[in-house]
Amino acid sequence: MRRLLIGILLVPGLTTQAADDDSLIERGRYLARTADCAACHTAEGGAPFAGGVPIASPFGTIYGTNITPDPDYGIGEYSADDFYHALTEGETPSGRQLYPAMPYTSYHLMRREDADAIYAFLMSREPIARAAPETDLSFPYNQRWGVAFWNLIYADALEPDASSSQSSAWQRGQYLVEAMGHCGECHTPRSWTGAMDLDRHLEGGSLAGYRAPSLEAEALADRGWNRDDLAHFLKHGMSPQGSVFNEMFPVMHHSTQYLTDEDLSAMATYLLGDTPPEARRIEPRPLEALSDSARRGRQSYLDTCAGCHGGDGQGKPQVAVAMSGNTTLRLEDPTNLLRVMLDGIEARDFPGFARMQEMPGFAAHLSDDELADLGNYLRETWGGRPGDIAPGDVANLREHNAHAAP
Amino acid sequence: MKYPRLSRRAFLKGSATGIGITVAPLGSRAFAALFEPRVTAARDQWASPSGAHFRIDAISKVSGAKVFARDIRARDMPGWPQQQSHAMLLKATRADRPYQGFDLSLLDDGLQPDRIVTSADLEQDGVGFPESHGPDPLLPEGKTPLFLGHPVAILIWHDFARYRAAKNALQFRDDLIRYGARTGEVERPPYGSFRYVRVGGDTPYDPDVFSSLKDSDLFPTIKNRRPVWPDDPSLNGDIGEQGVYHARRMQDTLDDPPDNWEVFQARYTTPYIEPAALEPDNGNGWLDPDTGTLNFVVATQCPFESAHETARMLEGSRFDVRHLNVHPGYTVGYGSKDHNIFVYYAVIAALYGDGHPVRLANDRFEQFQSGIKRHPFDMDYRLAVDRDSLKFQIFRAHMDVNGGGRANYSASVAAVGATAAQSVYYLPRSDLATTAYPSRAVEAGSMRGYGTLQTMAATEMMVDELAERLDVDPIELRRANVLEAGMKNTQGAIPGGAIRVGEMLDKAERHPLWKERTERRDKRQAEDPDHLYGTGFAISHKDFGTGAEAPMASVEIDAEGRIRLRQIAIDMGTGTATSQAMNVVDFLGRPADDIKTGETDWPELALETSGNPYTMQQAEQDRLSRNPRWTPRLASPSSASNSAYYSSHATREAARLVFRHGLWPAALSIWGQGIYGGQANPYVVRLEDARWVEGHLTARGMTPIPLAKLAAKAHEMGLVTAASVHAFNRWSWASAEFPLGDEAPRLPLDAVAVKYGDDDYHLLDRRNVRYPDVQLNNAHVTYYSPVATLVDLRVNKGSGEVDILEHYSWVECGKPIVPELVKGQLEGGIAMGIGHALLEEMPLYEDGPGNGSWNFNRYQVPLARHCAVWNQGSEILPPLSDTDPAKGMGEVVMIPIVGAIVNALAHATGQRFRDLPVTPERIKEALHG
Amino acid sequence: MAELSTRPLRLTINGQAVGPVEVPDDLMMIDFLHEYQGLTGSRLGCGQGICRACVVILDHDDGTSEEMRICITGAHFFNGKRIRTIEGHAERGDDGDIVALNPIQRKFVDHFAFQCSYCAPGFVNAATVLVERLEREPVARADLEATIDRALGHHICRCTGYVRYYQAAKSAIEELGLVKEG
Repeated sequence: MRRLLIGILLVPGLTTQAADDDSLIERGRYLARTADCAACHTAEGGAPFAGGVPIASPFGTIYGTNITPDPDYGIGEYSADDFYHALTEGETPSGRQLYPAMPYTSYHLMRREDADAIYAFLMSREPIARAAPETDLSFPYNQRWGVAFWNLIYADALEPDASSSQSSAWQRGQYLVEAMGHCGECHTPRSWTGAMDLDRHLEGGSLAGYRAPSLEAEALADRGWNRDDLAHFLKHGMSPQGSVFNEMFPVMHHSTQYLTDEDLSAMATYLLGDTPPEARRIEPRPLEALSDSARRGRQSYLDTCAGCHGGDGQGKPQVAVAMSGNTTLRLEDPTNLLRVMLDGIEARDFPGFARMQEMPGFAAHLSDDELADLGNYLRETWGGRPGDIAPGDVANLREHNAHAAP
Repeated sequence: MKYPRLSRRAFLKGSATGIGITVAPLGSRAFAALFEPRVTAARDQWASPSGAHFRIDAISKVSGAKVFARDIRARDMPGWPQQQSHAMLLKATRADRPYQGFDLSLLDDGLQPDRIVTSADLEQDGVGFPESHGPDPLLPEGKTPLFLGHPVAILIWHDFARYRAAKNALQFRDDLIRYGARTGEVERPPYGSFRYVRVGGDTPYDPDVFSSLKDSDLFPTIKNRRPVWPDDPSLNGDIGEQGVYHARRMQDTLDDPPDNWEVFQARYTTPYIEPAALEPDNGNGWLDPDTGTLNFVVATQCPFESAHETARMLEGSRFDVRHLNVHPGYTVGYGSKDHNIFVYYAVIAALYGDGHPVRLANDRFEQFQSGIKRHPFDMDYRLAVDRDSLKFQIFRAHMDVNGGGRANYSASVAAVGATAAQSVYYLPRSDLATTAYPSRAVEAGSMRGYGTLQTMAATEMMVDELAERLDVDPIELRRANVLEAGMKNTQGAIPGGAIRVGEMLDKAERHPLWKERTERRDKRQAEDPDHLYGTGFAISHKDFGTGAEAPMASVEIDAEGRIRLRQIAIDMGTGTATSQAMNVVDFLGRPADDIKTGETDWPELALETSGNPYTMQQAEQDRLSRNPRWTPRLASPSSASNSAYYSSHATREAARLVFRHGLWPAALSIWGQGIYGGQANPYVVRLEDARWVEGHLTARGMTPIPLAKLAAKAHEMGLVTAASVHAFNRWSWASAEFPLGDEAPRLPLDAVAVKYGDDDYHLLDRRNVRYPDVQLNNAHVTYYSPVATLVDLRVNKGSGEVDILEHYSWVECGKPIVPELVKGQLEGGIAMGIGHALLEEMPLYEDGPGNGSWNFNRYQVPLARHCAVWNQGSEILPPLSDTDPAKGMGEVVMIPIVGAIVNALAHATGQRFRDLPVTPERIKEALHG
Repeated sequence: MAELSTRPLRLTINGQAVGPVEVPDDLMMIDFLHEYQGLTGSRLGCGQGICRACVVILDHDDGTSEEMRICITGAHFFNGKRIRTIEGHAERGDDGDIVALNPIQRKFVDHFAFQCSYCAPGFVNAATVLVERLEREPVARADLEATIDRALGHHICRCTGYVRYYQAAKSAIEELGLVKEG
């Protein structure tokens, strides 16, 4: 572990020597964005960093805490040491263990000066004198000792492979992805205890009824990703492969859209590797080559999808993503596709002048059979996948509302 | 008295082109019957003499009837072929490279257009184009597009299924158009550049030392596409140089002000706005090859202009068009369907329909791509105030206006914006300079506010911030500087009538929203750590009319007492049809039974025009006005908030003539029946005693007579039973003497035709016409309606989003014709103002609407949740008396809310925002750095 | 590739059986109403399901009704289904003239709710669906305004500022006795 940290400390670019307070605060602002503090600590409709964001976990709802400098309800009494300790060890100055929704296993790799900058930034914010809602988890997860025990087992186990043979961009990307961005927290499968299954690091996780897809290079390339598109996706929330939705939206909204192009490119470089595998292209499969189910699904596509996604799956610029080339259609597991077809996607503001209207859900309008056929039409035509969705798969998902435990 | 009948030709020769093309009435009776009788309700349903129960068009509109031109297909039109053809415009989406043709090869053979029209066709076939919309309606190959979205071709399909399939395939493709090597944007000189300098006398009531009205507007020379003013102006130079000399003196004073002056300076910018009229631009035309008649259904605010320009387009073309039937629908535009080039694309599509009716109708993406926009303004303001007296001393406002790719009304918008910048204040000295520049953006033109929204909202932000700097109450500072009746505006003209701005300031100051604003804010902020709270105020008054208003109306009453009203004005949702129908109540005792709006055909008035009413010299006007058929302008579009006052003027004058020279003498005759002058003889019965009571006319105790009986009598006696009138207003009405029986009353009209009894129209020969002096053009404004608004809002500290919590407004519009319509305008204007202040914006250029990918998902027009639907109030100030004129207020209503919001944001956040819209991003930036 | 293959469509519009009509597989319902049926009251505002000027009412067999955005819903989606459009609400006499409006239409008229009226059909349909829902389950007084907000809140009107639409809807719901007091 120590060896790794030293390796990361040599990463160029993120730090310069200490400057005046303003530049420290500015640096902290940027780093707080790379670490995506706001996603959990700024509630929708709430004051910045005042907490209250409900975070669904398999064990119950955890609420983001108030990290404004308020002395009573926030972190006003924290010293920089306290802050660094909480961030990287998951323990408050009073010795209380944080719930592991706080990604201190990832932040454990954060450099001290970066933590200090974030601290300076947070302490410069307006104090908000309000308690965040209490997290109330069921036994045994409401037991702090349980969390401490969990820490004991896993806290030092995250060991990304920092090879000195990688480019500096790759190494910076590693720091951003693994430590600051804590991408693995969602994109790594978790064991029954809730801890990341580190043997399967970034192989894809599960969150609130959706799959967080694999971020492994081969898997990304298989889904059509290249470095530029991936960086563009993180910056703008859109790319030819689709748009961010569900739990990835706040990540883009609070964090990645603010990152420099250089940092985003570094993240893409790390994820895809210095020598990225070639992005797979999939030619649309013609109607006559589709399964019976998919052929049946075509009329549902024309009836309910084509108005926005285009009769030929070409999409409409700024309105609806293309089906042709869409990354979600290419996932082996059709859960995300079916979930979106059932539930829709809420309207969202994207960076700049982009705003995606809501996608309606079709749970009420299409039967399990129709949705299975439609899903098969989409996956076979544009996803390079077999038409293996059965009506029962849809029925199963229907029973589980999104944002509930899988 | 009998007057010679006027042939139709006499009218047409002057007004159209004299090439055998006629602007016929709206076709056969079947055509004429198409829209309006189906749209308007029976009179006893919608109105009584005491008021309108609902809009005259409400039943049709609420039940999905075909009221818009958009709703019409070929099979809806009597006599048209059933099969409807459809067209689309192909547009260039780059403006930095020459256009080199297009490629539709991606379409299957079966989907290729049945007809393609390019500039080569227009040239070959001699189809002109309204000069004011030029150049290059369809861009020829080899030329660089003037703007993003410049049309290059019209594609026509003769059936819907193929049209739709082909359009789906073509839309959003950026590989259809071929371009050459980079040329950069086409560079052009400004559309217009003006300066208005005023140095007042010792008091606001003394003669000016220098002003536009007294002396002249100022015009620069243009060098390198920029306005240039004299370097070293002298008082001994020409009038323009003298003006610049005064402006220079003002600038020197602002640079080195007296000790007790505060000089405020700030720069304000406004967004590029899509009017977002929900009915997108459309037209549907059929050139009947057998009769040479072009039948044309169109959405326009200016049917008269559209018809006449269309006629002119066809002059000398190979198309043997002998008649033109224009059918304007009820519509909506907020200005964007005034002087709109789209009409003429639809005409071209119809011409090339090869005998088929062709419909050209924008979808929303296309409407964003080509519809007329509101101009972005970039304003540099300086205002000097005397700290002791709180009196404003000098106002200097210099502004640049982005007019986009075609001239449209940009020069005029720039001028109107500048001359409105003073808002409700008296300014002893002022220097207002304004320039409208071309750009490669989609063209901007007439749009609700017309420049004044941009400049006055900024003035209200400035005054509010200045009050803070002076540490005085913002309303107190305003009150100290109100332009009172009799004072001069920045052009040196005295506004019409009483000015009731002070009354509004008093009301606002006493309103709890204002009085308790700081306590309320502090209390709420203590309770709610997620939000900042604030209250703001602003007030504006805006001109209505254009300085060359030319309303026309006729009122006819048949022998059964049915009242028929024809109006050149068109209903754009504002309620013009309803209010014009109500306008006759004062004279005829009840509303009109039938109304025809958007009437383009007025042969009985036999008017001709020539010259430009805005720019002609006095001698020219004097010479032209010796022709009794001449008028400075034939017709106005429905725009500039002009219906309530100007359209009403024509309706009321026509109704008044029918009353005064028809019904009144008929009544006297009835009351005088019998020996010794009948029941009237024992009394003195005077015109001023005439009263309508429940549809009956009485006067001084005379037996009430029902309208039908009066009408029958008037017809029987050969009295005036119809009057058709034209008026002209240049900040004052033209007037003339008209022979009527033994009298020759001077009327505020310049053309009158009347019917005697059952006869046809007779044109009255006007005498001693007086047109307002051309110098009055330099007044620029004399009619104002004021509105004041208080708004209470909160700002989310995290997201930067603004919630309007409550608002309250006051409007003074004289005597409202239909108060519900006034309130509706106010509520709608406020919503649009909220959009302008907080929500609506687009990039101007490559990422902007010209690229064809804009729709309402990205362009956020206000929704109900943005408008405080349940928490708003308003007051229409009661008129001074029931003789107050109705005044236009359709635009001013949206202005104060803008300043009030920005001022409330300052109250909430302590930050002054000067760039609109104040988006969450801008607020977050201001709050959190 | 462009789609010109067709299939038969049969549905019920305003109580009248329509079809079978051969229409393209991918025709949007709004185009079917406008170009094949001559019913133009359901208006094209955005064409992308945002403004809701085009909504019609879809009637379900269980007696419930809902708004459908027909600019983004294919005509064949409605095969075998029952819809109501703006043209179908009013009672008409033998000559086609309107004899009586539905309660929402009446209130919109009396309140001067719309101006240009391009959006009015969407508001009428949305408010009618709301009334029909409240007829099954009345709304508590305290929730009335928020219920209207939710039912009409996505509809775009550019003229009016929404005030009179909302007040009219509220007044109609109250007069129809669909508010639970207390």
